[in-house]
Amino acid sequence: MTRLLPSVNALRVLAAYGAAVLLFVIGEWVHPGFASFGSVTSILLVASFVGLVAAGQCFVILIGGIDLSVPWVLNAAAILLVTTSLGEDGRALYAVAATLGMGALAGLANGIGVVWFGVPAVVMTLAMNGIIEGLALGLSGGMTCSTCASYAPPVIAAAVHDVWLGIPAALWLWLAVIAVVSFVLSLTRFGRVTYAIGNNARAAYLAGINVNLTTVGLYALSGLFSAMAGILLVGFGGQASLGMGTPYLFQSIAAVVIGGVSILGGSGSYLGAAAGAASLTALVSVLLALNMPDYGRSIIYGVVILALLLLYGREQRE
Amino acid sequence: MPSDLAIRPHAGPAAARCRPPIAHALGQNAGLILAAVILLLCIAGFAAMFWLQQQRLPGNFEITSTVNNTMPLALAAVGQSIVVLTRGIDLSVGGVIDLTNALAAIWLTGSVLHMAGVSVLIVLIGAVAGLFNGLLVGLGRLQPIVVTLATLSIFQGLAIRVLPQPGGAVPPGYTDVLVNPNQPTALVFLVIAVAGWMALRRSRLGVGIFAIGNDESSAVALGVNAMRTKIAAYMIGGALYALAGLFLAANATAGDATTGDGYTLSSIVAVVLGGVNLFGGRGSAVGAICGAFITTMIVNILFFSHINPLYQSFYEGLFLVIAVVFGALIGRLVRGRR
Repeated sequence: MTRLLPSVNALRVLAAYGAAVLLFVIGEWVHPGFASFGSVTSILLVASFVGLVAAGQCFVILIGGIDLSVPWVLNAAAILLVTTSLGEDGRALYAVAATLGMGALAGLANGIGVVWFGVPAVVMTLAMNGIIEGLALGLSGGMTCSTCASYAPPVIAAAVHDVWLGIPAALWLWLAVIAVVSFVLSLTRFGRVTYAIGNNARAAYLAGINVNLTTVGLYALSGLFSAMAGILLVGFGGQASLGMGTPYLFQSIAAVVIGGVSILGGSGSYLGAAAGAASLTALVSVLLALNMPDYGRSIIYGVVILALLLLYGREQRE
Repeated sequence: MPSDLAIRPHAGPAAARCRPPIAHALGQNAGLILAAVILLLCIAGFAAMFWLQQQRLPGNFEITSTVNNTMPLALAAVGQSIVVLTRGIDLSVGGVIDLTNALAAIWLTGSVLHMAGVSVLIVLIGAVAGLFNGLLVGLGRLQPIVVTLATLSIFQGLAIRVLPQPGGAVPPGYTDVLVNPNQPTALVFLVIAVAGWMALRRSRLGVGIFAIGNDESSAVALGVNAMRTKIAAYMIGGALYALAGLFLAANATAGDATTGDGYTLSSIVAVVLGGVNLFGGRGSAVGAICGAFITTMIVNILFFSHINPLYQSFYEGLFLVIAVVFGALIGRLVRGRR
């Protein structure tokens, strides 16, 4: 492996952070107070939901896969959390465990479908999204069940909103996830194996790596992170609603790609993807501060992603 | 892909040449044949269910509404299949359909000549949208999945700018020509699409599309202009999504800048059910049309089985996985007999 690669990747990560900082500067310029400490932390709090989903998405994209089941795994997690906890602190632990288990199980099924049944990742995770959607809608009676209107337990709301050392708790959680995921990816065997599979699955197999098991594990992790984002989102907003997961699919993929992770797998880091999530959320906030109508936000969003891609996301000429 | 990890002795071109022509044709078209069989099974299942409940076979009304409702998806799936054959993928389908559907709702008025001109213009706009994608993928050397993710957002924004609220109107005469509510005349357009596909796949461009989908560097070495081929594929795709937008507007007799959104994923489902290989180079637009009709038939069957509509996505997702797993299994059996 050429030693040039890490430095190119480091540049991409720096570019993603640069974009985030630039957006906050622009925000401060058009809307004084935008870059104040309170405003930055609240924007980053919103970014943490995308960031968590992007962690799972990053894992599967690193091995050249993709997870399209994010929207309904997240949404089902939110519904499951409120319906099992019923807003009571005493049931919160059990509800969180059940919800995270559901997410991991959905991811596990994705992985099994991809690995042992040979279904392309796009198809498997797309189908899983539909399967979970049907189950979530059917079992909750289209969110008409008596427990569906429950609120998140106060302890979970506190775990999102409570401020420690000036920073909301969910943001601390995200920082911890960034640290752990970055550590796992860059300094553990599991991380090395992940990059190896992404670079060349066959070579990794011949080198004695258990490609199948690792792949299944990575998809399970992706489901777990989607469920975690769902839990925090309920804690943030208070209640679950239908369609709350929809924006997170494209945002998580965009964050990962803006953060310099190759969509073909094998290169990139979660540090970059986290910066991608921050810059995407900052961009949306700047446009909102400018009172940009819906359509304008949508167009500029696409243009900025394209501009960043053209800047550093190009395939190397062979 | 992990499933290909087992290292098998490679059957070279000599082995392929030795196969009898029928076995060769079967092997080459396994995906298409399988899609057609699944479609026939779905139609038979639907007819049986219809018979049980209505004591008659599905008639003109059922056939017409099925065809008319499937037209947009069928056209979008043909476009998607051409892009997928180049080893690409187009997520901007929904955005282009949104945009063209919105334009159709506000521009389609007046004389026949005016409406015809507007229709052509809208299809051209779709082609320009495809050109934009194609330039970014072909010339910009960006990954199709992220390019079209970004352009999806752009086209959706433009669509909402054109038609902020659902509305507009499509004259009844226009609806009658495209999706006649009384007779399944829309099938004519599908026949034209199939004929166009047959011509395309025998043309220089079509051969280039299959070639770069199979092995881009070999294709380039043999003189295929990969950039031009990709741009053309995305442009044809864009024009077909625009047609889908027109059919959608004609069928709904009004416009909505968000109804197209679902077509991004459903066109991919149709392409996969139609036996087109997502990794490029293998498949047929005819299969994609079959895939689109399979999707509609599944919805029809679920409707007539009186399944709680809330569970519909569950059964659709389950069916998609089962169809793909069995498709791969049968494909392997057919190819394994070489």
